[in-house]
Amino acid sequence: MKLFKNLIFISLAVFLSLKAQIKLDVNTIPNRVNVFLDGVNLGRSPIVNERIKPGLHKFEIKKSGFAPLSYELLVNPAQAVKLDFFLNPIYEVKFKTEEKGLIFEVNGEHRWDVPLVRLELEAGEHFLRVFKIGEIIDEQMITVDEPKRFNYFLQKPLTSD
Amino acid sequence: MQNYIWFILLISCLFSMSQEPTYLVLNHFDQEIPEAEKSLIKSFNNSKFEFNESIKNIFLDLDDFDNPASSHMDIIKELGAEHKVNFILLNKIEHNDDRFVLDGLLFNTRSGGLIHRRKIDLKQYLNGQINELIMWVGNTLGVQQKDWQENRESILFSDPEEIEYEKTPMGAAIRSLIVPGWGQAYSNKKVSSKVWFGVEASLSLAFILSYYNYDISVTNFLKNSNSYNTTDDEKLVSKYRSEAESDWTNHIKYSRLAIALASATGTGWVSNSIHAWVFGPRPYTNIYQEWGSSSKLEEG
Repeated sequence: MKLFKNLIFISLAVFLSLKAQIKLDVNTIPNRVNVFLDGVNLGRSPIVNERIKPGLHKFEIKKSGFAPLSYELLVNPAQAVKLDFFLNPIYEVKFKTEEKGLIFEVNGEHRWDVPLVRLELEAGEHFLRVFKIGEIIDEQMITVDEPKRFNYFLQKPLTSD
Repeated sequence: MQNYIWFILLISCLFSMSQEPTYLVLNHFDQEIPEAEKSLIKSFNNSKFEFNESIKNIFLDLDDFDNPASSHMDIIKELGAEHKVNFILLNKIEHNDDRFVLDGLLFNTRSGGLIHRRKIDLKQYLNGQINELIMWVGNTLGVQQKDWQENRESILFSDPEEIEYEKTPMGAAIRSLIVPGWGQAYSNKKVSSKVWFGVEASLSLAFILSYYNYDISVTNFLKNSNSYNTTDDEKLVSKYRSEAESDWTNHIKYSRLAIALASATGTGWVSNSIHAWVFGPRPYTNIYQEWGSSSKLEEG
């Protein structure tokens, strides 16, 4: 009889502790990405029917070829939390110029003065700035939407097709 | 930061007259999203919408509460009773630099509790906000359309491993390995295509001619040697010997020439394929100085 009471008590405790937790689903694009919750690997996405406690949590999503994502989320008490993370790909980009004496800068971070450089940039828009003899001579946004080569010219040729 | 809060009454499946749940949808955007109303109406044409911008500044501080659901229970119940809806769907769209965050919360108006929360966080999702909003509202209502998913995939940047190009450097190399110059023509490099084809065709022809002459020299040498061995006539012996010696010299000359030409043809053939790969079709964008001239991009 005592054993039976203990079993009921343990079952109740387990049920209540599960009840206090929230159902967690994590989807990512692309799929099959390692999802870390507070440093613990939950496995590969999609994560279904995982449990999470209310409070502040840190999600980290990592996949080769994509920019890693680190995200802090305050999980409020609810029946279910569903998270969708979209990883941004990293593309290999070559930047080439035949112009002399130019210095290039992307996003205020990467700077170079050689005719050909290879960069790894996150997909999306990037800010390009061009210097000559210490002065800015050009500023424009470039869109990186695939692995490609950018050729920079000071003037558009008259006979271009 | 600008705050736009739109009050939308969405009554699901109004025309079916069934006991489908009804929703009050509240959209809170930090930036104006053009065409949002029109897109929602178009995507859920079985539902009735009423737009009202009179409700402002509720749920803005949701994450500041330890228990946001219970903290807003009274408001949720009041809104539910006022609009006679079963659920309240709150969509918060925020832009943080180049990141786009869609926070969706589903409340039950009977209990006032938060029953579902969905968060989307992504970088540089250009023009994808409306599609994500529609997908989330559709997900809550149990409606999913294939073109929403396709639209999402078309907007998102492609996985580098899944990008397929119509023309590739490897395709050019293989073509040039089959026919010299074909890979260059495939890459729209017509001059180098003609040069490679001309060079390889000339080398091949020269090799064939050399081999043909070598073969004739060998045949004649054997024939003259045989005649030399079988004749007793002094004049003919001298003639056959002289011709056989000449054939021997020619056979060595053409043999060496054929070997050299075969090597040159083979090396040129492989070089032509490597050239086709190095200068093969690759995507590029030409950027021209924007300051002081009209900016134009050329892509290939």
